[in-house]
Amino acid sequence: MTQTGETAIGGAGTPPIVLMRGIAKYFPGVVANEGVDLEVKRGEIHALLGENGAGKSTLMNILTGIYQPDAGEIVIDGYDAHFASPVAAIAAGIGMVHQHFKLVQAFTVAENIHLGWSQTPRFASARALEARTKALAERFNLDVDPAKRIFELSAGEQQRVEILRVLAREARLLILDEPTAVLTPAEARELFKALRRFREAGNAVIFISHKLDEVLEISDRITVLRAGRKVATHEAAACDPAMLARLMVGRDIVLGDYRKRDVTAAPSAVPPVLELDRVAAKDDRGLPALAEVSLTLRPGEILGIAGVAGNGQRELSQVLTGLRPITAGAIRIDGKTVDKPDASECAARGIGHIPDDRLRSGLAPSLSVTDNAVIREYKAAPLAAGPLYRPGAAGGLAREIAAAAEVAVPDFAMPVRNLSGGNQQRLVARREMRIAQKVLVAAYPSRGLDVGAINTMLRYFVELRDAGVAVVLISEELEELLNLSDRIAVLYEGRIMGVFDAAAADFETIGLLMGGRTAAREAAA
Amino acid sequence: MSYRLQRLPSAHPGIAVLARLVAIVLALVIAGIALAFTGARPLALGVQVISSTFGSSFGLEDLGLLVTPLIFTGLAVALTQRIGIWNIGAEGQFYLGAFFATWLGTSIAGAPLPLMLVALFLAGALGGALWILIPTLARAYADVNELITTLLLNFVATLLVYYVSTGPWRDAKSNMLASTARIRYEVPEFWGIVHWGFPVAVLMALGVAALLAYTRWGYEVRIAGANPQAARYAGMPVRRRIIVVMLLSGAIAGVAGMFEVAGTVHRLQGGISNNFGYLGIMVAVLARGSALAVIPAAAMMAVILNAGIILQTQGITTSTVLAITGLVLFFTAIGDEAAHYRLVRTGAQPA
Repeated sequence: MTQTGETAIGGAGTPPIVLMRGIAKYFPGVVANEGVDLEVKRGEIHALLGENGAGKSTLMNILTGIYQPDAGEIVIDGYDAHFASPVAAIAAGIGMVHQHFKLVQAFTVAENIHLGWSQTPRFASARALEARTKALAERFNLDVDPAKRIFELSAGEQQRVEILRVLAREARLLILDEPTAVLTPAEARELFKALRRFREAGNAVIFISHKLDEVLEISDRITVLRAGRKVATHEAAACDPAMLARLMVGRDIVLGDYRKRDVTAAPSAVPPVLELDRVAAKDDRGLPALAEVSLTLRPGEILGIAGVAGNGQRELSQVLTGLRPITAGAIRIDGKTVDKPDASECAARGIGHIPDDRLRSGLAPSLSVTDNAVIREYKAAPLAAGPLYRPGAAGGLAREIAAAAEVAVPDFAMPVRNLSGGNQQRLVARREMRIAQKVLVAAYPSRGLDVGAINTMLRYFVELRDAGVAVVLISEELEELLNLSDRIAVLYEGRIMGVFDAAAADFETIGLLMGGRTAAREAAA
Repeated sequence: MSYRLQRLPSAHPGIAVLARLVAIVLALVIAGIALAFTGARPLALGVQVISSTFGSSFGLEDLGLLVTPLIFTGLAVALTQRIGIWNIGAEGQFYLGAFFATWLGTSIAGAPLPLMLVALFLAGALGGALWILIPTLARAYADVNELITTLLLNFVATLLVYYVSTGPWRDAKSNMLASTARIRYEVPEFWGIVHWGFPVAVLMALGVAALLAYTRWGYEVRIAGANPQAARYAGMPVRRRIIVVMLLSGAIAGVAGMFEVAGTVHRLQGGISNNFGYLGIMVAVLARGSALAVIPAAAMMAVILNAGIILQTQGITTSTVLAITGLVLFFTAIGDEAAHYRLVRTGAQPA
């Protein structure tokens, strides 16, 4: 894996592009970073690996001037550096592409590239900006259409715009935070090509990820962080996935096959619990989001929904849980058509929902842990007595849910946003499992969680499946879907491209379908 | 070894109270220093204010009259805050409550007092609720920002009351130029000159607090206020809750106007609101949207207002009094924020 170019350009005598020594950063009650050393040479792709909360983002926020370190030093090209703000870091050639793109949706690509840039001409026509953008795109070999508006672009294209934005500002070190999370396998390959070209020009990349395979594929060296401290830096060539996973979590983890089950279930024989029959729905802007979606869900099975985020997953999970009205087709619960589904009725019928964005739609962040824990059961005894709500009983239920979720809550009256992301997700999952008598719809349940928390979450689903509950698992992690699901449906632009038996499905076919290509079309091309 | 400030996500309650006390004292000290430079004797003025406010039952009774409408209007604003809405229109709803009560109280003669009191209460509530009806429907069905609509209707209400009290309803018999005739029914006194509006206001604050904390409806309002998406996710009827909360808020502000007319002033006149509607916003902010905390917050605001009246008799101008009021609120806001911080020691070599 080690490139010959690395020794030629970044050899002895040339100072590393970035040297961080003894970096520490403390937050209330948390050691985010302590004694972290990081060296990034010219002409290398350096992966930063770690569980959630391992301190990767904090370290990068320090390097890009968003945070000031409490201790330690940063050396750029052999000189001491202090970045008082992100602007100073950009001036030093350090640019970051965040996980959540920071683009103006309503602006064109050219406008986004030139936004807040000192080299933007003071007076420039749209055409002049587009011409400049085109020149930049050619120079850096990143294919973008300067006149298109951001909301018209796919996630992969938006990412290219972000990268171009950073490169245009003469970045020599590009930091990418989980760049492949939103990409199809094909788009990820394109990204890797672009990164290798960037490296060959003597620049460096810091690649943050927790996907072991891609880290091994793309990087030259790998630094692993755990609990805010550096564990090790290794040549990628000397690493293997099991060893990296061990370094990350500090113990051996089993990427098991969850499809094995103790109970012998025969899902195809039982009548379906939930059916979608040629369902169509619109998104928040009133544009068609789902079309002709037909799905059958049987008790005791896990149905995986594969697809790149933004292809109707959000709308599908909302349709399944009664949050979004359908514009065509029919929904049947236990064989009976539901005329006007609504969220509270679906919940009452035993459909639980772990929403894609827990802080935005599954929780009320400023309210107490108790208030948030009981949002599904406040209407039923013992919490309700006629029109009354009993805070005491609510506290009891909250304690019960927190105990089942194995979340230590110091104070149930504190705002739920004070809990970590993983604990919030566990709490939501346990809350929903209590009401999911028939169906659990889980949208991106492992997003933003570390390996340990993901394993817990997946165990929950297996537990439910074995209890005869149907689980709909919406995810962008193909591996997770293949490990867990009985069947996998691929969603692309609001349509089901195909449903596969997970045992027989292969990675590449599903990957192609996720990108909107059928195997036949690919063969013809 | 170095020290750093660290921000906590939520302030410790004890620290929060302490920070407020320190803030108020600091504000008064600074006001005192400024006054001393103008030649006044701040200490003597302070003693004067305290002795005239708390030293006699007259002072306390004045306070009671001031605190009553402030509890109502503060409660009206605090209630909407719980569902994430700003009712800036308590002033207008106050006027409309007063207007409806005056109309009823001057046009019906000879009805039994208890019956009339109930009718006046309902008339005031209806007036306030009607005045917020359009902003409510606009907000609930068309997502029109209630800040603008409720605020602008204040000016309409103010002008309406000025018009009727100087025009069609003007009291021809008395020499008053800008006032209606005395209304025929009076809210009986509760203690000294303080009428029954005061205990009603306190009870209403307790009632709203209980409604929010101990009913399913209140739980839904709190969730909808903290995150409407989460409320929809749980299948709560957010729109219906918004409508009822806003109408209830208007009604409470309207009741404030009714008690002011039927209990304190006994006539409708322009400027009868005394800015109680706007001061209610400050009360709600001081109370941080909590219905129970509205009572002490309104009491504090009443003390400030009363001190202002006393200071004016001592030759301090209205502008100075306003400046002192502003200073106190400003420092309180800083104190609230400061309560979120604590000093931590960061060693060079942490263990």
